[in-house]
Amino acid sequence: MATDFITSLVLVIRNFILLIFSPYKTMRKISVEKDYYQLIIIACLVFLYFKFIYFLRDQPYPATLIFIIFIFNFILTVFFFYFLSKITDKKVEWKSFVFTFSYSLFPTLIWFLSTSFLYIVLPPPRTFTLLGKAFSIFFIVYSLSLLIWKLILEYLAVRFSSKQSFFRIVYMIILYLIWFLPYSILLYQLKLFRIPFI
Amino acid sequence: MKNINFRMKQKMNEVFSIEPNNLGVNFLTIYFKKITAYLKIAPFIYIIPFTILTALILYLFLGRLLVNLVTILQYGY
Repeated sequence: MATDFITSLVLVIRNFILLIFSPYKTMRKISVEKDYYQLIIIACLVFLYFKFIYFLRDQPYPATLIFIIFIFNFILTVFFFYFLSKITDKKVEWKSFVFTFSYSLFPTLIWFLSTSFLYIVLPPPRTFTLLGKAFSIFFIVYSLSLLIWKLILEYLAVRFSSKQSFFRIVYMIILYLIWFLPYSILLYQLKLFRIPFI
Repeated sequence: MKNINFRMKQKMNEVFSIEPNNLGVNFLTIYFKKITAYLKIAPFIYIIPFTILTALILYLFLGRLLVNLVTILQYGY
């Protein structure tokens, strides 16, 4: 069991690195993945992040509660895309959606972790000095790059799991945003997530 | 030999697991394939210059608003 877990850990690290250099090929491989330990490792990383930010936030909710809500959001998202794909193609697999969507959490995790570290090192508000402006531009470049990477991974996750065409995937994402945006506002109002962790 | 054949078959199944994208209009499909080809391998080579340019344009248009936006984003963890 310990060897299986270490092997999965190595695979997770390898896949994470390969998603940077060849996202298309790697996501295709991930979509046929069967090793469930990898999902546990990714979930543990997310849980560790929530534990970490618990000490940074003012009046925080317990990390376990935030994690349970995150899992609920994740299952809801996966189920939504799975359900829409199942309508048109009966052969789609639930497992494939879970694996690809789990790996597409990687940019999210990097952004949230780095932002919380920056909150400690360079706490906001940003100033209008030359250094403040330079940092702001750097932060926007960094955030936008991760956002574009996230969109690519999310698109590939839906593409390889649902096996649908480009336009159908775009429609699915629009339908997803129609209910997810108000839902995110609700989570914000409840002070659970300021920016949705998806 | 059998093993090589099996692996070859597996690889072929993996590569052809999805149908190629067809956007309906020929020139759109061609351009889509050309653009996505750049994003399949090492996308950051193209993403980073694009985001630098976008951030600079945003700064020129938004100015101080961009700095305020970063302040809000920094509270977003």
